[in-house]
Amino acid sequence: MISNKAKKQIDAWVAKYPEGHQSSAVMEALKIVQAENDNRLTSDTIQAVADYLAMPGIAAAEVATFYENYNHKPVGKHTIRFCHNISCMLNGSDELITHLENKLGVKTGEVTPDGLINVKKVECLGACVGAPMFQIGDQYYENLTADKIDEIVDGLK
Amino acid sequence: MNEVCFKNLDQKDPWSLKTYEASGGYSVWRKILKGELTPEQIIDELKTSGLRGRGGAGFPTGLKWSFMPRNANMQKYVVCNSDEGEPGTCKDRDILRFNPHSVIEGMAIGGFVMNATKGYNYIRGEFMEPFYRFEDALKEAYDAGLLGENIDGSSVSFDLYTHLGAGAYICGEETALLESLEGKKGQPRFKPPFPANIGLFGMPTTINNTESFASVPDILAKGGQWFADIGVANSGGCKLFSVTGHVNKPENFEVPMGLPFKDLLEMAGGIREGRTLKAVIPGGSSTPVLTAEVAMGMTMDYDGIEKAGSMLGAGSVIIMDDSTCMVEALTRLAHFYYDESCGQCTPCREGTGWLYRVLKRIMDGNGKADDIDLLMSVQDKIMGNTICALGDAAAMPVESFLRNFREEFEYYIEHGKSMVKG
Amino acid sequence: MADIEIEIDGNLVNAKAGEILIAVTDREGISVPRFCYHKKLSIAANCRMCLVDVEGAPKPQPACSTPIADGMKIHTQNEKAKASQKAVMEFLLINHPLDCPICDQGGECELQDVAMDYGSDVSRFTEGKRIVADSDIGALIQTDMTRCIHCTRCVRFGAEVAGIMEMGATGRGEDLKIEPFLEEGIQSELSGNMIDVCPVGALTSKPFRYELRSWQMNAVSNVARHDLVGSNIITQTYKGKVKRIVAKDNESINETWISDRDRFSYEGLSHENRLLAPQIKVEGTWKEVEWNVALDFATRGLANNVFNTHQTDKLGALASNTATLEEFHLLQKILRSVGSENIDHRLNVKDLDNAISLESSIKLAGLEGVDHALVIGSNLRLEQPMISHRLRKANLSGASIDVINAMAFDFNYRLNSENIISPNQTAAMLAGVLKSVLQNAQVEIPDYLVDIKVNDVATQLAEKLSQSDNSVIVLGEHIVNNPQAASIANLVSEIAQHTNSTTLNVSATANSMAANMTGFVPGKGGLDVNAMLAADLKAYILLDIYPQYDFHHSLQAVEALSNEDTFVISLNSFKDDAVAQYSDVLLPIASFYETSGSHVNVEGEVQSFAAAVNAPSDTKPAWKVLKVLADLLELPGFHYADSTQVTSEVMHQSHKQHVHGESIDVKVKRGVNVIWQKSPYAVDVLSRHATSLQATNIGQINSASMNKATAKKLEVAQDDEYLGVPVAINEAVANNCVFVNANHSTGVQS
Ligand SMILES: Cc1cc2nc3c(=O)[nH]c(=O)nc-3n(C[C@H](O)[C@H](O)[C@H](O)COP(=O)(O)O)c2cc1C
Ligand code: SF4
Ligand code: SF4
Ligand code: FES
Ligand code: FES
Repeated sequence: MISNKAKKQIDAWVAKYPEGHQSSAVMEALKIVQAENDNRLTSDTIQAVADYLAMPGIAAAEVATFYENYNHKPVGKHTIRFCHNISCMLNGSDELITHLENKLGVKTGEVTPDGLINVKKVECLGACVGAPMFQIGDQYYENLTADKIDEIVDGLK
Repeated sequence: MNEVCFKNLDQKDPWSLKTYEASGGYSVWRKILKGELTPEQIIDELKTSGLRGRGGAGFPTGLKWSFMPRNANMQKYVVCNSDEGEPGTCKDRDILRFNPHSVIEGMAIGGFVMNATKGYNYIRGEFMEPFYRFEDALKEAYDAGLLGENIDGSSVSFDLYTHLGAGAYICGEETALLESLEGKKGQPRFKPPFPANIGLFGMPTTINNTESFASVPDILAKGGQWFADIGVANSGGCKLFSVTGHVNKPENFEVPMGLPFKDLLEMAGGIREGRTLKAVIPGGSSTPVLTAEVAMGMTMDYDGIEKAGSMLGAGSVIIMDDSTCMVEALTRLAHFYYDESCGQCTPCREGTGWLYRVLKRIMDGNGKADDIDLLMSVQDKIMGNTICALGDAAAMPVESFLRNFREEFEYYIEHGKSMVKG
Repeated sequence: MADIEIEIDGNLVNAKAGEILIAVTDREGISVPRFCYHKKLSIAANCRMCLVDVEGAPKPQPACSTPIADGMKIHTQNEKAKASQKAVMEFLLINHPLDCPICDQGGECELQDVAMDYGSDVSRFTEGKRIVADSDIGALIQTDMTRCIHCTRCVRFGAEVAGIMEMGATGRGEDLKIEPFLEEGIQSELSGNMIDVCPVGALTSKPFRYELRSWQMNAVSNVARHDLVGSNIITQTYKGKVKRIVAKDNESINETWISDRDRFSYEGLSHENRLLAPQIKVEGTWKEVEWNVALDFATRGLANNVFNTHQTDKLGALASNTATLEEFHLLQKILRSVGSENIDHRLNVKDLDNAISLESSIKLAGLEGVDHALVIGSNLRLEQPMISHRLRKANLSGASIDVINAMAFDFNYRLNSENIISPNQTAAMLAGVLKSVLQNAQVEIPDYLVDIKVNDVATQLAEKLSQSDNSVIVLGEHIVNNPQAASIANLVSEIAQHTNSTTLNVSATANSMAANMTGFVPGKGGLDVNAMLAADLKAYILLDIYPQYDFHHSLQAVEALSNEDTFVISLNSFKDDAVAQYSDVLLPIASFYETSGSHVNVEGEVQSFAAAVNAPSDTKPAWKVLKVLADLLELPGFHYADSTQVTSEVMHQSHKQHVHGESIDVKVKRGVNVIWQKSPYAVDVLSRHATSLQATNIGQINSASMNKATAKKLEVAQDDEYLGVPVAINEAVANNCVFVNANHSTGVQS
C-alpha cells in the first residue's frame, strides 16, 4: 500500500523529529501516500500510514480529516484551488470561477468527465497582492484574467 | 523603504547566501559563534529596538525571549510561524522567497539566546515555492558550516528543520501550530501553561512570526536604537504592509512605522480610476473594519491604528472602494471563520456557523428585521468566551461591519438585495 | 504546595497554590456547571460551560483549567459569569435535538440539568439543526451522535484510561464528529465507561435501549463478582428485574470505572436457560415439584446414601468460585457438621498437590504507586481489567513492567520486556531470577539453585527487581496448571522476600478469596476435588457447577458424578444438560444480584451486598436453601435470621491458612503444555448467558493458539479442532505450548 519510494520519503521526514515522535511526520506521510494513490485517501491508506508511523488509526484519521489538503472523494489529476477570500473576491474571483466552471463544463466540487481537472474554492492562499489567484499542484498562478486562465487550463495534460 | 527584510529585493538572486552575506548577513551569528555577544546583550538590544511580534498580537519580542527558562536542563525549541493564512496577509511568503537567510539567522540567534538547540520553521502547506527556497537556503547554511552541532568549533549548536502544514488557518495560532508539529490536528491548547514552559513535545518553546525573526539580524547588526528610530514611539522600526484589494498596485511595502495611511495608499497606486475609498481593514481579516474617513486620518503604527478603532494585526491592509457590497464582504469573512474554526470549543464551533448562516440567509433575500440584533448578540456571546483568539477574530469583523455600515445590512434585509450592487 | 487563601463569591476559602479552581469549588460545594471536565480525565477546557469571573482577568476564565493563586477573587455567579454561562448554554442547545422525552439519558442528562438553570427557553436559532449520521460501534454502546456536545470525554477516556484510542474527533469546525475509525466496533474491555462519562444521551447502553427512564428505577448498591476486584456498582432495577448496571465510585477499589463484564453480565439473568423450579429425578425422568418435596427428596437421598450407612466420609461438597462468602461458609459447615472434610472449590486445578499458594500483599490502590511490576502468566487486561488499569496508571507515571508469558498479549501499556517462554521453562526462569536476586543481595545460594544457569533475561529481570524500591510480582491464572505451579509460587515468594517486592496472586478469580477465607478446602483426612471424583463417593452437594466449564477433568467429573450409586444434589441458577444427567435433585437458586452476600477481593476486603431484586419464580437464595437443608438434617447452629448473621460468624472465626510445601522443583520439563482458560466473557455462568457481551469481539474469543512447530507436532492445522476448540496458528505463542481460550462448553479437556 505504501511504496518503497514513499517509505523513503516518509523516513526522511521522520528523521527531522526527536526519537519517539515519528508521528510528527504524519501530515507529510499522508500527502506522500495520497499522491501515489489517485490523489485521495481511503481508510485503508490512512491505516497503512498509521501503522507505518506506529500511531492509532483514529489519530491518523483525525489528521486526515482536519486538514484541507487531503481528499477523501475522487478528484481530478489536477485540482485547481481557486482562492475566493476577501482580496481575491474584491478583484473578481467569483466571476473568474464562474468563467472557469463554464469553460470546463463542471461545477466546483465536480471532476471533468475525462478525470483531468476539478475546481475547489479555497480560503486565502497568502498571495493576496497577486489577487485573483489559484494554485495547481505546487504552483501559484497570480493576477489571473479570463484569458490567462484559458491559457493555463488549456496547457493542463 | 525596504530597509530590513526586503533590503536585498533589488539585488540579483536576493535569496542566495552570497547576496545575504554581501549585505552583512550572518555577521551577528558569526560574532555569537566567536563568543562576542551574550544572550543578555541581545535581549537588551531587542528591547531597545521596540520590535513587537509581527504575527498579529504585537508582543515585544525581547521580553518574550527573556521568559524562556534558558538554564533549565532540558531540550528547548524555537519555532518560526510561517503559516501565514490570515486573509489579506502575504508578507511572510515573500520573506521566505526573497530573504530566507534572514529567517535562518534570526532563528539561530533566538536559539542561542534561549539556549534552544533545535528549531522548526512551520511553513503553510501551500507555500511550496517558499518551502523549496527555504530548504535550499538551509542547505547553503549547513554547507557553509553555519548550522549544526558545535558550529565552527564553538560550544553553540543549532539545528533547523522545516515542517509543512496541510491546510488549516488555525495552525497559525501558536499552540495549534505546536499540536500540528506534533502530528496532531491543529487544535489550540488552553493557556496556561504557556509554550515557554510547556511547548513543543512538552518542552520550553518560543514561537515567533517569520517577519519577527527576519528583523532580528539587522537590529543586532545596526543596533536597537537604529531600529527604534526608524519607527515611532511604541512601534519601533519598519514593518511590512500587504496592501491589497481595490488599489492600482497591490504590493508588500516595508515602510517605517507611523507612516500616514494615505501615503501608503498612494504608494499602492491609489484607488482605481473613478472610484472612491469606502472602507479599510488595516490589519488582516480579523481586525475591525474602518470607514474611509477614519482611515484617511490614521497613521500606520500600533497606537495610531488602535486610536482609529482597529488593530495593526499582521499589517494586512485590505482596501475596499465604493463598489464593495459590505454585506457580501462580511459574509465572505464569516464563511472563512466558519470554515476554519477547529471546532473544539462550543462558542466558536456553534457560533461561527450561526453567524455565517444568518448572513447567508440575508444574502439569499430571506433576512429578518431582527437579524442585525441577532448577529450582534451572537458575536458578543462568542467574544471572550473561547479557547483561542479565532473566536474573537470571527466576532470582531461582524461587530465592526454592522456598526460602521449598518444601513447596508438594513437595506439588504428590507429589500432582499444589495444597496450597492442592486 | 503552599496553603493559600482565595475568595469565592465573597467567601474566603483555603486551598493549595496551583490547584485547579473547579477542584476547589467542588470541594467547597459551590456548583459550577461543566461538561468536559471529569476528575479522572485530562483537562480539555473545550465546552466553556464553567466560565467564571476572575477579578483582574479581562476575559471570563474556565474554572476547570485555571490554576488558583493567592488572593484570587472569583465570582461564579455574578453578571459576567452568568452571561458567559448562558451564552455557552445557548450555543450548546442550538444544534441539540431537544428530544429529551425519547432520549435514554432523559432524567440523568447533565445537559438537561444545566439547561434548566441556564438556558433561555426560546431558541433564536432558526437555521436548521445539524443531523449527524450514526455509526454502529458494537453490541454494547448505542450512539446518537446528533446529541453529542463534543466534550471529548469519551475520546479522552479511550486514550487515557482504556489505553486504546478508539473514538476520535474527526473533521473540524461544525463538522467535528466523534466516531471510531474502524467499523469493527469498540474493542476495549472497559468500553462501557464511555456511557457513564458521556454527559448527554449520545452514548447509551445498547442492551438497555428505550427500556425505561432512570427515575422509574430503583438503585441498589452492589458488588460485582466476576473478578478479584469486587468493583462497586449500582444495580438499577424495575419491577423486580435488573435493567442496567452503572459504576459506583469507590476510590480504593474501582475508582470510578467498571469492566464491561461487570456492566453487562446482568443480561444473563433473564436468559431462558434459567433454572426456575425444583426438580427431582424419579426413575430417570425429571419432575417439577414443590420445594418441600425436593428438599425432602434431597435429605432422604443423603440419608439413604451416606447417613444411614455411616459413610459420611463418602459425602462431598463442591462449589463454583462465584459463590458468596455466606454460601461457602454454610456448605462447608454442613459438611463438617456431619463429619466430612471432602470440600473443595478449586475445580479447575489438574493436580492439587501442586496447587499455588501465595498470599497477596498489596492493596489495589497501592498498585498505582509501584515503580516496577513483574507479571507472570497472565493476560491481565482481560482477566482482571481494573487491576490492569491500576498497573497501567503506574506505568504511565514511570513504572517499568516486565512480563513472562507463554503468549504475547495485547497490553495497553508499554512493557519493559515481554518474555515469551514455554510453561515448562517458567520455573527454571524464575529460579534464575531468584539466584540472581540472591547474588545481588549477597545472600547464600541454597542447594537447589546451585546448578541453575542464569541467562541474560533472568539477570535483567533480577536487576529490575533488585533495584526497585516498590515492585510487585503478579502471579496469574496461566500458572494454575503449570507442572511446577507450586514451585513457581514458592519462587515468587522467595524473590519477593529478597527484594522490595510485594506479591499479587490473581491465579484464582471471582470469589475464590471467600472460599479460602471460609476454609472451603479439604480439611484433615478430606479429599480434594480430584480425589473425590476418583473415590466413588456416595453423595454430593454441588453449588452452581457447570462441569464442562468448571472442572479441569471435565469428562471424568461427569462420568464420576453420573455413577448410578451416587446421589447428587445440585443447586444451580441455570439449566445444564450435564448437570441434569448426573443430578438427582435440582434446586433452583438465585443468581448474582438476586441474593445478599459478600465478596472478598484480592486484598482481602470483605464487601457485603443486599439483593437488588427478589429471586425470580421459585428460585431461592442459595444461603437460605443451605440453611433449610441443614435444618432438615437437624444440624445444630444454623439459626440465622438473615445472611449478615452468617457473615459475622465468618468474620469472627479465625481464618484458615494454606500451608505450602517446601520442595521446589526447578528443572525444565519436556513435552507440550496446554494452558486452558475460559475466555474472558465465559468465566462464569452469568456472563456466558449475557448475549450482548457474547456478541463482542472479546465474547467471540474461542481458539487453541499454537505456533506452527507445535501444530506440526500435534498434527493439527489451522481451523482443525484441538480439545474441541478451533486451532489458530499463531507465532505469538511459545514453542511447545497450546494456549486455549474457550468460550463454550466442551467435554474434552484432558
Ligand atoms: C487564529 C489565529 C491565527 C494566527 N495566524 C498566525 C499566522 O499565520 N502567522 C503568525 O505569525 N501568527 C499567527 N497568529 C499569532 C500567533 O498565535 C502568535 O501570536 C505569533 O506567531 C507570535 O509571534 P510574534 O510574537 O512574532 O508575532 C495567529 C493567531 C490566531 C489566534
Ligand atoms: S476559538 Fe475556535 S478555533 Fe479557537 S479553539 Fe475554539 S473552536 Fe478552535
Ligand atoms: S459522545 Fe458524549 S462523551 Fe463523547 S464527545 Fe459526545 S457528548 Fe462527549
Ligand atoms: S485572499 Fe486570495 S490569496 Fe489571500
Ligand atoms: S468544564 Fe471547563 S471548559 Fe468544559
